[in-house]
Amino acid sequence: MSPSLIITAYSLLFLLLFSVSLFVFIIVRRLVLEQRKVQFDRLYKQIEKDILEAISLLDPDFSLGVARKYGRHRAVLTRVLLDFGDIIVGEGRDQLRIIFNQAIRGRCLRGVASRRTTKRLQSIRLFIIFFDPVDSAFLFRLLDDKPIIKLAVINALARIPSPETMRQIFKAFEEDTGFTVQAYFNIIFGLGSRTEPLVKAFLNKPLPVDKLGLLVELVGAIPLQTLYEDVVALAGHPDKEIRIRVARTLGKLLIPKTVDTLIALSSDGAWEVKAQAVKSLGRMKNLKTLDVLERSLFSPFWYVRYNAGYGLAEIGEEGVRRLKEVAGQEEDRYARDMSVMVLNDMIFPGEAA
Amino acid sequence: MSDVLHAILHSVNIVILIYFFLINAFYLLFTVLSLFGLFRHRELTTYISFKEIFRLPLVKPISIIAPAHNEEKTIIESVNSLLALEYPVFEVIVVNDGSTDQTLGALIRSFQLEKSRRVFRKVVDHKPVKGIYTSPSHPKLVVVDKVNGKKADAMNAGLNISRYPLFCAVDGDSLLEKDALLKMVRPFLEDPEKTVAAGGVIRLSNCCMVKCGQVQEVRLPCNALARFQILEYFRAFLGGRIGMSMLKSVLIVSGAFGLFRKDIALQCGGYRVESIGEDMDLIVRMRRHLHNMKRPFEIRFIPDPICWTEAPETLKCLARQRNRWHRGLLDTLLHNKSMLFNPRYGITGLFAMPFYFVFEMLGPFIELLGYIMFAACITLGLVNYPFAVLFFLVAVVLGTLLSLLSILLGEYSSECYPRRQDILILTLFSLLENILYRQWLTLVRVLAFFDFYRGKEEWGAMQKKGFAQAR
Repeated sequence: MSPSLIITAYSLLFLLLFSVSLFVFIIVRRLVLEQRKVQFDRLYKQIEKDILEAISLLDPDFSLGVARKYGRHRAVLTRVLLDFGDIIVGEGRDQLRIIFNQAIRGRCLRGVASRRTTKRLQSIRLFIIFFDPVDSAFLFRLLDDKPIIKLAVINALARIPSPETMRQIFKAFEEDTGFTVQAYFNIIFGLGSRTEPLVKAFLNKPLPVDKLGLLVELVGAIPLQTLYEDVVALAGHPDKEIRIRVARTLGKLLIPKTVDTLIALSSDGAWEVKAQAVKSLGRMKNLKTLDVLERSLFSPFWYVRYNAGYGLAEIGEEGVRRLKEVAGQEEDRYARDMSVMVLNDMIFPGEAA
Repeated sequence: MSDVLHAILHSVNIVILIYFFLINAFYLLFTVLSLFGLFRHRELTTYISFKEIFRLPLVKPISIIAPAHNEEKTIIESVNSLLALEYPVFEVIVVNDGSTDQTLGALIRSFQLEKSRRVFRKVVDHKPVKGIYTSPSHPKLVVVDKVNGKKADAMNAGLNISRYPLFCAVDGDSLLEKDALLKMVRPFLEDPEKTVAAGGVIRLSNCCMVKCGQVQEVRLPCNALARFQILEYFRAFLGGRIGMSMLKSVLIVSGAFGLFRKDIALQCGGYRVESIGEDMDLIVRMRRHLHNMKRPFEIRFIPDPICWTEAPETLKCLARQRNRWHRGLLDTLLHNKSMLFNPRYGITGLFAMPFYFVFEMLGPFIELLGYIMFAACITLGLVNYPFAVLFFLVAVVLGTLLSLLSILLGEYSSECYPRRQDILILTLFSLLENILYRQWLTLVRVLAFFDFYRGKEEWGAMQKKGFAQAR
């Protein structure tokens, strides 16, 4: 036999064995998973029934009994606690916390130190749901972990909005870079108006544009109306992204004093800023803005015209009157078509904007 | 003379052998990378609760653009599936691209459409719009009726009419899973600056039971051709594109389901109307544009958002579809040939484009050459039969192994087919596809090359059966 024939024969043998093993693996995996699923579902239903009873009885002894009864089936119990922990609040969650502390907490503490990211994440998620202030010290240590773990920890810390945890969250926000920055929006947004002093302090810090923009956006989303002056101060920021966000935020805060800032932004050099300022002016529902909005309908930029049209529609009767006027003129067909479209759209209430 | 012929045959055979090993080594590499990619993705999504995260006010609204040409049998289910999507803010723009059947009529009747006087900004060019329809009962739906262009032309019309910063390209005959957009938008949330496009998995809906625009029961198609295609889709999406995504080399985001940043697409001039494979063409031009701008970017493939589509079930339809795909590949590669082996375009120019050029574009020719050489060797009595038989078996088993690996990937990404015997059937088909089906496809792709040079522009429409309805 020639060497090439021998090599080919061995290759075939190896590939055949590999393929057959893979096929067997897929089938066996399926069988095992199906079997496990049946057992899992049966046990899940039992635990679910007992947990629902614990939640309705609100008896700590009963909850302890449930924890002891299912302590051996930690995987299923963990799943049930994750599912219920997300939706049950108040005293019901206290019962779940008793079960967690009794049956799962030790395992979770080990899970947090696990080498497997999945396990670490699952453990941290449980800590997020059943947060106990005594755990905060060890959670602080995890702030040096991978970005995803760090984010999970920050999420957990956001559950106890003490000055110390908030300081840690803002410190992490200041230090973090890249994609996780966006996730801080959710976290800080969840903390609500208690973040006001820290947001104010950070708005006056020299931050990168993405972080500063995110904070400006937060002021409008929460909303933190007392910070409008700090936002107005950024209206002259050299970066247009910040000016866009300033315009958007002012449209959410709806402070009458900021109309002039928005009018100034509506004649900004960047059309994106103009478009956003015009949109916010529409939301202000202030008759002072009518002329600006009407003028903006004749803008060469489609988005500016679009926002001006819907802005006028939002103002109400007088805005609609102006729209009709523009719709009736013949000098600028772009302004006319936009007004006609907005008037036509007003027939359909609830149109997605 | 005979010695010279022998030497030529021997050299060609060596080239074909090297090619065979290289192509399979790459496919194996992609599959292994896909496994890693899939595990990493699973790790991340264990923590991420989509419902929580996507309530973020920063999540960008999406315009879903669905071009439809003669889709009367599937369009209503498709639009229902799109309107039922779970996403904070989105609009559905159906572009009726000059259908000659009742596509528009069916839409008007089913969704109580009324003619709107909506105006739009014509940033990219397209054939004239005959009318825009909106529905008081479905405010998220906009139907655009336009003169027939091609799919790219319809997409451009949709791009102009769309209002949101991200757009999702879907086929008029596709069904999206309810949470598909939520999953797809994740990379845009993680890295909004760098992410410019993302693609999801396409699966075949043939024989699946559909209710209210959602696949209720996943079944293996009854048709043999569709079963072969399932294996191809598995290999392409799970084996290939996740691996390519790991290497930052995604060149195709399927036109049936892809999410893009509108500003970048518009900066590239939207879809190229003359293109045959408009999906690949857009991605390649986006890459070229972003490389030219020296702007860091990412095009991602996400393994869990699923889009269901109907596969052709006759040889004629399949041949037309594959002919168009191959012409599209040729058109895109040749249109952007300056990127090939050009270090200026980074990994796109040095790896992704050459890979598609050597293994996807020239692949059918090399394969055909292999068959011709084998026939020539038989005629000249030069065949070492034990080696030839063994080599053929190696090729078959290697192909089956790759299919099995992609089935395994399917099992890890989501349980692909619920019945155990389905795995057995798919394995059997992975063996069978090496006999005749593979050779037939090679021939179809080679013929596509000649059609391309003859300037054939036929789209390759397929006969739709419509979705099987669950009770």
